[in-house]
Amino acid sequence: MTRPSQRSEALVLRYTDYGEADRILTLLTAEYGLQKGFAGAARKSRKRFGATIEPFTRAVFSWRDGRGQLWSLQDADLVAAHFGLRNDIKRLAVASYGVELVELLLHEGEAQPLIYALMCSFLSFLDQQGNPETARLLVELRLIYLLGYVPHLLHCSECLRIFHAEPIRFDIARGGSLCLDCAGRTGVDIALGTVGSLSRTLKVAHDQFQGFQFGRKTLQEAQFILSQVLDSVLPREPKSLKFLAQL
Amino acid sequence: MLGSLPTFARLEAELSKLPGIGGKTAARLAFHLLRTNEHDVTALADALLEMRRNVRFCRRCFHIAESDVCGICTQDSRDKQRLCVVQEPQDLLAIERCRAYNGLYHVLHGALSPLDGIGPDDLKIAQLMERLDREPIEELILATNFTVEGEATALYLAHLCKERKLRVTRLAHGIPSGSDLEYIDAGTVQQAVDGRRELQFK
Repeated sequence: MTRPSQRSEALVLRYTDYGEADRILTLLTAEYGLQKGFAGAARKSRKRFGATIEPFTRAVFSWRDGRGQLWSLQDADLVAAHFGLRNDIKRLAVASYGVELVELLLHEGEAQPLIYALMCSFLSFLDQQGNPETARLLVELRLIYLLGYVPHLLHCSECLRIFHAEPIRFDIARGGSLCLDCAGRTGVDIALGTVGSLSRTLKVAHDQFQGFQFGRKTLQEAQFILSQVLDSVLPREPKSLKFLAQL
Repeated sequence: MLGSLPTFARLEAELSKLPGIGGKTAARLAFHLLRTNEHDVTALADALLEMRRNVRFCRRCFHIAESDVCGICTQDSRDKQRLCVVQEPQDLLAIERCRAYNGLYHVLHGALSPLDGIGPDDLKIAQLMERLDREPIEELILATNFTVEGEATALYLAHLCKERKLRVTRLAHGIPSGSDLEYIDAGTVQQAVDGRRELQFK
């Protein structure tokens, strides 16, 4: 008996060619989190899937349970192709970095409605010519927050003293921000304004990307902080970072 | 299961290393070769060895060749002012089949892929730039695939050529000729609508 088909909206994170004409897609959905889907004959015939199986595409997929954990994809209706990403190499590279972070940080099969909404907004923002540096900062910070890795920001991670206007340092190995008394010789000097900006940003809805303006120093220091956090939780360095460095 | 047939198992293992060949197909091919007469099997083995010994990449355009420079690069009748950039030698052959282009080529041997960490240094991009310095190219035709990776590569090359006195063009794309609009996927139709052009009446 044929199993009933289900429908789920998903973002295509990447594909892997399989066999002569098939593709295996890595999808991000709200209800099922990361999922792998098998798109039979997707490279030979464009009738069922067409451009919907390209990375960064948002589409509604019809699927059935397939072999093991793999969904058997039946067809797809396009929601957003995000073709605008193809007009700017930097935005495309940042979009790739964002989806690679999701692949590396999430486990398959866990519902991720907030991260799904975040990634839809992230790709849409870049698609509409949003600033790639702002997009990178926001997606890194919010992924870290939503997955519970956010470091101590506006208070010392060891003595818990709340900062007012004093100089501070940052050391992820010791939990995040540190007052100078606790820091001793460790950590890197960070402006209080930078951690303040990160903290304020976390109070804004996670799917909002428009309206942020970060200064050069904030972007640089925030990137240092967020890279330290990500280095401590990622299983390997994202390949897209190497690409970004070459641009 | 094939422990007592090491020769057969070895052939099957070698065949399954080929792209698109899984275990079952490898076994099917191995059984086919077993039933084929010795003369044909020897011809196949010879062809494989000779191909490996004689075929290399053209030092100018990186298409496949049986000498240092390929047949296309040495053809006098070619338009030396047009250079078409493709991802793979198979893409070059596809353009040659259409008989609408008579210029030169440059094969990149891949496309930029941020997700796989394939950057400009991994492709024949530096060699392309050297050709543009050296040769009297007036038009660069970007014929990379219309995938995310192909588009990224075209964009990157266009950016590199920004400062050069060069006409940079991209292959047109959209609805395939001979097809019905109702069967075309939404993404392709969207691109075709975005890239629509005015009809010219002569």
